[in-house]
This record gives sequence, structure tokens and C-alpha cells, in this order.
Amino acid sequence: MKPMLKILAMSVMAAFVASAHGQGAGPTDPQIAAIVVTANQVDVDAGKLAKSRSQSREVQAFAQLMVTDHSAVNHAATELVHKLNVKPEPSATSDSLKKGGEENIARLRKLKGSAFDAAYVRNEVEYHEAVLDALDRTLIPGAKNEELKALLIKVRPAFVAHLEHARHLQAQLGKSGG
Amino acid sequence: MGLPAAGAETRTLTIEAMRFAPERITVKRGDTVEWANRDLVPHTATARGAFDSGPIAAGKSWRFVARTPGRYEYVCTLHPAMKATLVVE
Repeated sequence: MKPMLKILAMSVMAAFVASAHGQGAGPTDPQIAAIVVTANQVDVDAGKLAKSRSQSREVQAFAQLMVTDHSAVNHAATELVHKLNVKPEPSATSDSLKKGGEENIARLRKLKGSAFDAAYVRNEVEYHEAVLDALDRTLIPGAKNEELKALLIKVRPAFVAHLEHARHLQAQLGKSGG
Repeated sequence: MGLPAAGAETRTLTIEAMRFAPERITVKRGDTVEWANRDLVPHTATARGAFDSGPIAAGKSWRFVARTPGRYEYVCTLHPAMKATLVVE
């Protein structure tokens, strides 16, 4: 189980690294828009599954927060791209994120109880680490439109808070033997 | 609710980047405290037993008339690390 989750996180990182190096210039603004929307949607989907499947109040609360916050960020991102008349453009990166998200859901569906909680939370830690890394290394530096860049910068603290919350939850689950 | 007391002010805090700003504010009894959510995600301003905004959506505000003197440690119930202090004189 653990090595597979590690591979998922690595594939997310690889997706971002590949997009930074592959075309030479990094993702365009329309591609960045699609990456952001996809990244948020992946976490909303995982959160919905965890809400319905977890038996832990803390994990359910965290999952609800992921649904609420990542939906809110997507709402802001979608409003901005409409305003800027930017059409989100799929790329290898957004496709890879989407696929990774689907694979995570499929794996989680096979688990229940504390095994589910541990796998869900572990993935959330690694996922938020990867997304923050991508924000810092690729998306924020690469965004050309100033308003898009400002949105990505504005989003960052929420993801940091999510990561810290997920790490805290992971430690709690570890203590209770979950 | 009635009219605000003479001299009562509206004091505004902002919520952005997952923080309350300022993290400590002192107001006078009868002042209106306004939390303006300038973040992208919803937040609450909650001091159990004293006040609870419920979720304040991005771009929205919530107002509370500070009638009772005291020191209120409050939090965002959605994001556990967000804490601040309201002092009512």
C-alpha cells in the first residue's frame, strides 16, 4: 500500500516537472487555469468519498473542509478566467492529475475503517505537498497575467493550512494506531 | 437592535491569507465589530458562548455589536489554526 501511494505522489510531482521542462517554456496561462481547476476538483472528489466513507469525526471534518475550500477556490478561479476571457486548456499535466486522482479514488474504495482513514490522510499530505511545490516552482512564476498570478499567490496560504491540518491529523491517527 | 450608542464606531477586521487581521483588537462597549472576509475560502469568527458568525463566504462580511466587556479568544471553526483576540472595554 505505502509504496503505491508514494508512486502516486511522485507521479503528481513528475507531472508538474515534466510540464516545466517538456515544452521548454512551462505551461501557458490557459494551461495553468486548467491545472488549477483540475487540482482542486481532484481534492473535492477525494473529500466527498472520505466524507461518506470515513467513520472518524476528525477525518470527516477535514474531508468536508477540503470539499468546501477547494470548491471555493475553483469558484474564484472560474470567475477570473471568465473575466479574463481565458479558456482553460487541458495538458499532459492536467490529464495526469485527473488520472492520478481517479486511481487514488479506486484504491481508496477498496479500503474501510482506519485503513481508509490512514490512506486518505496520507494521500492528502503528499498531494498538498506536491501542489504547493508546483505553485512555487511552476505555476506562480509561470503565470503571465498579473491577476492570475495574484490569484495563485492568494490561494497558497489555504493550501499551506490544509497541509498542516493533514499532517496534524496524520499524527493523531498514527497515535491511535490507525 | 435599535440605534447604536452615541460615539459607537464600526471597527473592521479583515480575514485574508488564512488570518484575522489584526490578530488582536480592542473596541469599546457598544461598538460594532465587522469581519470582512477577503480570502478565497469561507471562514467563521467564533467565541463559544459569546458570538458565532457561522460561515462567512468569500467577499462577505459579518457584524457583531460588542455589548459585554471582556476578553474573547475566538477562532475560525473551519480552520483550526486560525485564532485571534477581541477585547471589549
